[in-house]
Amino acid sequence: MVTQLPKTDVVIVGAGWSGLAAAYELANAGQRCVVLERGKWRHTVTSFGAPEEHDELKYARRKEHMIDTPIKTLSFRNNSSETALPMRRLGSFLPGKGLGGAGIHWNGQLWRPLPSDLNMASHYSDRYGEEILNGLSVQDWGVSYDELEPHLDFFEKVCGTSGFAGNLNGDTVEGGNIFEGPRSDNYPTQPMNSSPPQQMFRNTARQMGYHPFQMPSANVTEAYENPYGAQLHSCTYCGFCERFGCGYMAKADPIICIYDVLKNHENFELRTEAHVLRVEKSADGKTATGVTYIDADGREVFQPADTICLNAYALWNVHLMLVSGLATPYDPLTGTGTVGRNYSYQTIAAASVFFDKEVWSNPFMGAGAMGVTIDDFNGDNFDHTDLGFVGGGYISATQTNGRPINYNPTPPGTPAWGREWKRAVRDNYLHHIGLTVHGSSVSVPQNYLDLDPTYVDDYGQPLLRMTFDFPENDRRMSSYVLSKAEEIGRNMDHVVDVGTVNRAAEGARYSVVPYQTTHNVGGAVMGTDPTTSVVNRYGQMWDHHNVFVFGACLFPQNLGYNPTGPLMGLAYWTLEHMKSDYLGNPRPLMDA
Amino acid sequence: MRQIQIAALVSVPLLLGIGLTAGAQDFSGGPDIQTLEDRLDNDSTAFNARVQQRPDDDLLELGRLVAMGGAANGGSGMACITCHGTDGHGDGSGAFPRLDGQPGWYLYKQLVDYANGARPNKVMSPIADRLTEHEMEAVAAYYGAMPTGTIPKHGEVPGTELQWGGQLSAVGSAEKGIPACVNCHGANGTGLAPSVPYLAGQYASYMELQLQLWKDGVRDNDAMNVMSSIARKMNENDMRAVSEYLSRVTTEEAQTGPDLAVSE
Repeated sequence: MVTQLPKTDVVIVGAGWSGLAAAYELANAGQRCVVLERGKWRHTVTSFGAPEEHDELKYARRKEHMIDTPIKTLSFRNNSSETALPMRRLGSFLPGKGLGGAGIHWNGQLWRPLPSDLNMASHYSDRYGEEILNGLSVQDWGVSYDELEPHLDFFEKVCGTSGFAGNLNGDTVEGGNIFEGPRSDNYPTQPMNSSPPQQMFRNTARQMGYHPFQMPSANVTEAYENPYGAQLHSCTYCGFCERFGCGYMAKADPIICIYDVLKNHENFELRTEAHVLRVEKSADGKTATGVTYIDADGREVFQPADTICLNAYALWNVHLMLVSGLATPYDPLTGTGTVGRNYSYQTIAAASVFFDKEVWSNPFMGAGAMGVTIDDFNGDNFDHTDLGFVGGGYISATQTNGRPINYNPTPPGTPAWGREWKRAVRDNYLHHIGLTVHGSSVSVPQNYLDLDPTYVDDYGQPLLRMTFDFPENDRRMSSYVLSKAEEIGRNMDHVVDVGTVNRAAEGARYSVVPYQTTHNVGGAVMGTDPTTSVVNRYGQMWDHHNVFVFGACLFPQNLGYNPTGPLMGLAYWTLEHMKSDYLGNPRPLMDA
Repeated sequence: MRQIQIAALVSVPLLLGIGLTAGAQDFSGGPDIQTLEDRLDNDSTAFNARVQQRPDDDLLELGRLVAMGGAANGGSGMACITCHGTDGHGDGSGAFPRLDGQPGWYLYKQLVDYANGARPNKVMSPIADRLTEHEMEAVAAYYGAMPTGTIPKHGEVPGTELQWGGQLSAVGSAEKGIPACVNCHGANGTGLAPSVPYLAGQYASYMELQLQLWKDGVRDNDAMNVMSSIARKMNENDMRAVSEYLSRVTTEEAQTGPDLAVSE
């Protein structure tokens, strides 16, 4: 027996960054919004206060803020000749749960895409010839940097982002990221501080001819009021961003930045512990009629709506489309269909730099986005001729934490346990910095998402199945950029040793076990061609015009940056077109 | 609400210094140097007291001298103990904070900030201005090495006010956007050496005044500039409630210093 509720204007699946932004903008545009959140209600101030929150075992190891795999997981295999098995423990990536979603436990590294990231296929073809993209399914996003710029700027202001502009209205500013696209405004708050090893990284990189800058950060550096009227406080560099909520109200999150200034709006209703099962389609299949979910009391409920927004985590959005029969699933054998196509990840490597006792990092003082970065090897900021790959990544001396369980850097050759290991941790804990290589990930025909033929979840729905291994392109890219990071490390003063780790090394297969990054992207990509994209350039589904899709599942391939900035720029772009063009006259915004 | 207003009125004469004579001029009290030195055998006490170096008996001797109003450079011109007591407990009025067992580096930084105007105060700024850097360090380490104890509480406060103060201290206020005190000041308000002072057992009227100074922008000397943005979200009732609450918090930890495992 399904309970049918009165119709609402908009139903929004997921109360993270993009879901709450959608609710804010649409509620204030006169739309009655119902937001369905799988997890529980919580609040930044009352739920994430230190010192309780600084419980590394509970939150970072046992992952209390992340999705519970018995409730939601996927199956995984490296290639289509294997049988996928369910991921029963979280590992490589950590989707969130509860109000605020993964926007609670993110680090706050807040980037913009490079202009050339957004038209990657045409940009590379024009510069190097089409053959450089052979074997890849890289494509243009269908939206340009200039179109997104106001929305990227707005989200930076929602977060009170700290940073130092490198390109203001086309003028290069020394000390900022000179590769970034033109910015219409500076960052709203001052750049973060940097530790001695980060300052050394900056000096060495500059001496080597690179262009270091302070990483843009949603760890706010001064008291700040965002455009919605929400208040943020300044960061104390406590070193508990990643995997933790921020009870200091210093790391921008969806609860303080949006929910608090939305919760009393007459057009806003949040329903927590609502597990959405599927989007229901109309009889003719051209539109969706609403969503069916299991409520907090275990009842099956149908919530009709005129407009449906999918704002779940990238992978779960794709899963929801597949189990709902929205659009056509991708078939890797024929290359047809779109849902699940162009799944990509992020290619992470790192150099670990060990100093003598003259250099102190004091890693317990850190922040999730406290980094000094170079972008000289990101995107197409460098000449790819004869390199054998496309894409790149940023190299960043980051100091995110010095947590007692997690942070125990040891030089190459140290035993993995025992007295020698303990001695090495003691000797190096205060004299080390990691240089992260945060690399792009190309889409290829053999990496994709579909429904598992064997395994079902508690609700009887087939699991999402991920088929992924690092493309050769990305292995070459990662090896190249990592060698540059290592070189900078070796050129720094007082360096005793440099170690490297590369998950995408030649011969190493991608594994879902060791943590790498939560930046799963693609699977419901945007574009201007309905045969290679699920949604049009406005985030609207080609096949069901009243379904709008948000999040990193829209990325046709992953850029070398953390996805939150780009995906929120896209969210505000979509919302602007919904408000100005769609809601008053619902129809496909582009001709298929 | 009426009771709360009465409580505020009671504290006014105390702020004006009516209690000044209570034990403040007794030069003979307070721990001797050997007692303090023995306490430094405990790593966490030594860490709590340290400023630049691990304190030794010479530094503590100098600190005691400064506290008593003397020093090579002519001293501060006024003995610390006059208002803060030989045991660091203040004079009982609540106008002057207790210093016993407060992190040495925190105390040192306050002296520096009094001297340079970052924390302007008509009494303390001229005093700090006459101290050398080394004397500031010494007197900070001296008080930082002292054992903490409990002090008498002033006045009656309604239970509802204490409850609200306890909530602000422990979990803050989502409605007002006030983060909990314990975020930085420790689970029981016992501070976090070297930079975060304890609040548990501190004088309520002193803390209330400091919150008002943060709010007004008179005091603006914390490293990351967090206190002013917090205080700006508090009204007078919030400030009084959280101050009264924290002044009444006594824990075993508050009396023995934080349990920090520190190795050099």
